[in-house]
Amino acid sequence: MVDLITDLTKTYDAVVIGSGAAGGMAAHVLTSRGMKVLMLEAGKKLPIEKEIRSMEWPYDNPHRGKLPPDRHSLTFNEYTIRKPPYGPGFEKSKHLLSYAGNNDYVKNIVVEERDHPYTGTNYAWVRARCLGGKTNIWGRLALRFSDYDFKAKSRDGYGEDWPLSYKDLAPYYDKVDLYLGISGVKENLDQLPDSLFQRPTKLSCSEVTLKRSLQKMGRVVTQYRAGVTTDGLKHNKYRSRCFGRGACDRHGGCDIHAAFDSPTGLIYPAMDTGNLTLRTNAVVREITVDPQTGKATGIHFVDSETLKDFTVRAKVVVVAASTLESARLLLLSKSQLYPSGLGNSSGHVGHNFCEHLCGAVILGQAKDLVGKASTLDDGRPGGFYLARFRNLQERHSKFIRGYGFEGGGGQGMYPQVTGSPGFGASLKEEIRKNKGSYIDMGGFGEVLARYENYVDLDPVVKDKWGIPALRFHYKFGDNEHQMLADMKETAQEMFEAAGFKIVQVENTMLTEGWSIHELGTARMGNDAKTSVLNQFQQSHDVKNLFVVDGSAFVSASCQNPTWTIMALCWRSCDYLVDEFAKGNL
Amino acid sequence: MSIRKILDLKCDRRKWLKNSAKILGTSLLPVPGIVSELAEAETAADTPERNLATTEASEERFFTAAQNSLVAELAEIIIPADSQSGGAKAAKVADYIEQVLSECADDGRQSDWREGLRLVDLMSLHYCGKSLMESGPDERIAILSVLSQNHAVIELPEVRMFNDLRELTLRGYYTSKIGIHDELDYKGNVYLTEFTGCEDQGTTPG
Repeated sequence: MVDLITDLTKTYDAVVIGSGAAGGMAAHVLTSRGMKVLMLEAGKKLPIEKEIRSMEWPYDNPHRGKLPPDRHSLTFNEYTIRKPPYGPGFEKSKHLLSYAGNNDYVKNIVVEERDHPYTGTNYAWVRARCLGGKTNIWGRLALRFSDYDFKAKSRDGYGEDWPLSYKDLAPYYDKVDLYLGISGVKENLDQLPDSLFQRPTKLSCSEVTLKRSLQKMGRVVTQYRAGVTTDGLKHNKYRSRCFGRGACDRHGGCDIHAAFDSPTGLIYPAMDTGNLTLRTNAVVREITVDPQTGKATGIHFVDSETLKDFTVRAKVVVVAASTLESARLLLLSKSQLYPSGLGNSSGHVGHNFCEHLCGAVILGQAKDLVGKASTLDDGRPGGFYLARFRNLQERHSKFIRGYGFEGGGGQGMYPQVTGSPGFGASLKEEIRKNKGSYIDMGGFGEVLARYENYVDLDPVVKDKWGIPALRFHYKFGDNEHQMLADMKETAQEMFEAAGFKIVQVENTMLTEGWSIHELGTARMGNDAKTSVLNQFQQSHDVKNLFVVDGSAFVSASCQNPTWTIMALCWRSCDYLVDEFAKGNL
Repeated sequence: MSIRKILDLKCDRRKWLKNSAKILGTSLLPVPGIVSELAEAETAADTPERNLATTEASEERFFTAAQNSLVAELAEIIIPADSQSGGAKAAKVADYIEQVLSECADDGRQSDWREGLRLVDLMSLHYCGKSLMESGPDERIAILSVLSQNHAVIELPEVRMFNDLRELTLRGYYTSKIGIHDELDYKGNVYLTEFTGCEDQGTTPG
């Protein structure tokens, strides 16, 4: 189905760089409205069902689901004490992977760290160079942002408001919901707007205990809002509905594609229009410009396998390479006309880099579930989401913005053994009687967008293809540390209120990057002096250049970004097609 | 013999390293990190025929046959068979552990196991008067109890080995058919037409 014999001689209406959530959505919108599109993906197309093997039992896997011995995925400590590209100490590992590549099912989805070096401050940078990118293994939590996010500056004075509001994006969230499918329950919360939900999953008993207890505090636990089709999608022949097999967390992906991934959700349907050409193994190194008109003319890429250089011409260039790779590509595209990088007259490309902090992971035990018979608790794409409750009506004295928690309770395939010390008959009995009683959750909080948190190009280090590596200048600040302290306090307070025995609370803030929610390196704005893109993710400087991924975000919110990336991209691409038709690009 | 009382392994091991060296004599290769402790020990005595330090495993396998069966016994002590289900032995946990160790890219982990098995043997000789291979179930439980009580003293290779033994036993057991199905009666990893969950979904005030 994937056409690898690519015609690189013609001028495409648009070239889309990247095949993840944003690239897939751009391809869908542009091709469905008749534009001839070339999509370039830096990685290869994997036989993804063979990789993910959702139903494989651990005892049928040669390493019980763990990585083969020649591969090593980085641990929390290794990110804080070692610098990429990871020299001494890893000689014996033929393949070195990011922390997210920690099992046999995702090992080929994430990149080889050594081929993709980066420098500067600590950062757990998870990259998936393959068709579909990180959507093959994403966490599926599909949340909407609200005006608490889009208009956050108007509320607390920090940063910038987005150049659009919830009502501008709401119709596009609806489109994404209907086209891709989302499971959840309506809660009528201003800070967490509802989607057009398909059949919800069910909470486990410990989750209901938490929900009931938090109702008294005015806090909301709701079923995991999963970017998963639970009722099926009549218009998509590549995706099955969810059958509650529960493999999403165990293996990291879904081999029947009930969970959204960009290839089956967006790219294959786009290819069926006859308007999409796909070229994999295409590592884009530069966006080319016409020095006369100042407009983008296409791109240069290097074939990752043959190492040959290619040039492609396109009338519109759509960058969707992921927040950090997109910024890198703009910075790489220097010319006499654009000496500081393409679309960077503001000097803001790479800056205002933000994400979600992760921490306050808490493990508790519902005592009433100890000793109960086995129940089927993990037959669903996720547990629960605990909605933001800070800095809504009241203002917290120590920090601005908010955080939410993701969590789950009940019996899984592999038992929780953390709380059971010792050995022998008593250990075995302890694990058995506690198997369904554990519940855990972890916080995701908004990291403020700051100009001084940024990435630029390393003057020396290059990747496997000779392309300058990205250099990080990124640190959490006081607001993040104050927020984490509050997260830890409220996590314990809420588990105690629910009557859970607290087994463990994670004290450390997880390394920068851990959320895999990097955002904001080419932010939108109305002022071309302080932003890179307008509200339609169109470059202020170059009219036929669009950057449609998370890099356009003005702030991070505390809600997971994928659904907003796609709603925003859909809206921008609608505008793009209109402008293209009018001859304005 | 009542070694269950012994809590300070770090302090106590000086005695058994010293005394055991007397028994084992020069066949005991110095272990990095405890060379100075051993240097204090006097040389003496014959090497017992059956101890864990004397036989080298073949290259493909990490353990000798004797070590493998000992590890199987130790794993069974950690997760024993009972009326609910088989234990680590039935779940072939020792083979899993051996596979992990033989394929392992971490030299430190492998040497922890080689040193650890040897040191545990010395412990056994000191406390029980015989090698771990020759010791009985109660004596082995007693040795593991000492290590378990000292599980936080991770500067000692025998403790690191015990912790790894325990972790790998749990991992190997609970990823086996016996562990998943017989022991924990896991009901998932099946195709469901409806999601299951708590009967009470918390939608009405409780």
